[in-house]
Amino acid sequence: MPRITTSLLRKARTIDPFLPALLGPCRDLYAAQNELRWLHEHVEKVAKARRAKGDTLAEEALLRQLVVERASGKPLQYILGTEYFGDLEIRCRPGVLIPRSDTAASVTHIVGLLRKAHNLPPELRVLDLCTGTGCIPLLFQHELYSTRNDIDLRVLGVDVSHKALRLASYNLQKVRNTRQYVDKGRVRFLKADILLDPFADQTRGPLPLKTALNLKGQPPFWDILVSNPPYVSPSACWKTTTRSVRGFEPKLALVPPPSKPSQPDMVQGDEFYPRLLSIAQDVEAKIVLLEVADLEQALRVARCARDLDIFDGIEIWRDQPDSSPDDITDEDGFPVLGQGNARSVICWRGTGALWLGKVTAATSKGDDVQ
Amino acid sequence: MSILPSFLPRLFSIRVTTTSLRNAAARSFSTSTPTLSKSLPPRTPLLDGDLIENFLKGSGPGGQKINKTSSAVQLKHIPTGIVVKYQDTRSREINRKMARRILQDRIEEMELGQDARTRVRAREKSKKKASSGKKTRRKYRALAEGGMGEAVQEDGANEVEGIEEPVEIEGADGQAATKPADAEVLGKEGR
Repeated sequence: MPRITTSLLRKARTIDPFLPALLGPCRDLYAAQNELRWLHEHVEKVAKARRAKGDTLAEEALLRQLVVERASGKPLQYILGTEYFGDLEIRCRPGVLIPRSDTAASVTHIVGLLRKAHNLPPELRVLDLCTGTGCIPLLFQHELYSTRNDIDLRVLGVDVSHKALRLASYNLQKVRNTRQYVDKGRVRFLKADILLDPFADQTRGPLPLKTALNLKGQPPFWDILVSNPPYVSPSACWKTTTRSVRGFEPKLALVPPPSKPSQPDMVQGDEFYPRLLSIAQDVEAKIVLLEVADLEQALRVARCARDLDIFDGIEIWRDQPDSSPDDITDEDGFPVLGQGNARSVICWRGTGALWLGKVTAATSKGDDVQ
Repeated sequence: MSILPSFLPRLFSIRVTTTSLRNAAARSFSTSTPTLSKSLPPRTPLLDGDLIENFLKGSGPGGQKINKTSSAVQLKHIPTGIVVKYQDTRSREINRKMARRILQDRIEEMELGQDARTRVRAREKSKKKASSGKKTRRKYRALAEGGMGEAVQEDGANEVEGIEEPVEIEGADGQAATKPADAEVLGKEGR
């Protein structure tokens, strides 16, 4: 990483004495100024709340403390307590992965396709594995109900971390309190370990997914499976993640646990995908959306899905999948849509193709006849 | 034609006094400040095909590997070539909306010139500012008059110079004491 020049530090200092410290994590003056402004607004908000309670607050001291925390690399979202995910403001706490805007773009895009579908089932079931803050179920619900009222949406978010599930429930409550669609749809969260083999000897701790679904009276079949699993390999975690991610966000949400003692690095990074695809098969998902790190991983996952031989179509979506239609390229037989880094792999089968608008109703009927 | 210059000021003076009366009557019932005189037409919608939207990020890794706080949006309008960048809020959605609004305003400025909403608003604002400044000056002149009678002449001269449009006379007149209003009318007649 290039060193920040003295002239830039000096320039920052003339604007605001707090700015040089923020240049460390931000690397650029505009970003640092923005972050300082947000921190300022946050401190003012806190001070206002304190005053309402009849308390006082040393604003300058608090701001200095927050700037020092940020300069040490602590993510701004943990300091301010929230992050925007699509239209929603999602609460963040240390110990749970901060939602990424790239994930929001994928979710918004898939719901945008589903909204146009004419033959969605009356009850649409969506399973989100490794839900974290619960951002995907909440955005899915928000985006779908912004135009469609004819569908009963049922979303289940699954996570292994107790902290994540508590935060997800909190976020659900918060969204319920502020939005209109209180009664519509059901969003639930469930604790389960999706890497556990349901036939293995039962140990203490979280249950395997199937057992947990059974136990909590959840249906065994789901229409859509979405997941943003841990996908960073141990070496990539040291080499490619930024300091604020490496030092402050939970390893549990970033790096898959090693399944065997001496395992190649890359295989550990891809640990979750075979398991997710087999769950997709078990729950008879018509659409599967899996987030990935880059094009190489996307191709590995897409090949893995192709080898299963159950999907009618597989696509790779980039960071901005909704940009113009002439952004389609082809990698190893898989269409790659949009602009930016490769971000997710989407697979569909059966009626899933119709829901996504990948085939017209007429052609699929023709297939059925044949 | 020769009758017109002598006739016009009188017409002004009548108009000013009637409006001032009306304002004085209305003031006792309502304290709200008047809003924009005419509501502006709706913004012309942007066509999605004309836009290139860019979320400005580096070519490095993304997703879980980085945790960026900037959600800047860059919008390019292909027909006009105008580029707008907006990054003030943490929400990409809000940034997108604001960038679109600013772009619409820029295009309007290009097409309509002085009639664009930004220009209309700016004029409205500067007018308000001028009239409130005038009010302030008048207030302090009145105070100075109460104290000592020397500064009156100078301020009075300034006051006359400041008048340009009848709209301002109405606005200022409604709120000010009767004596300065007379001075304004005289100033108008003097020209």
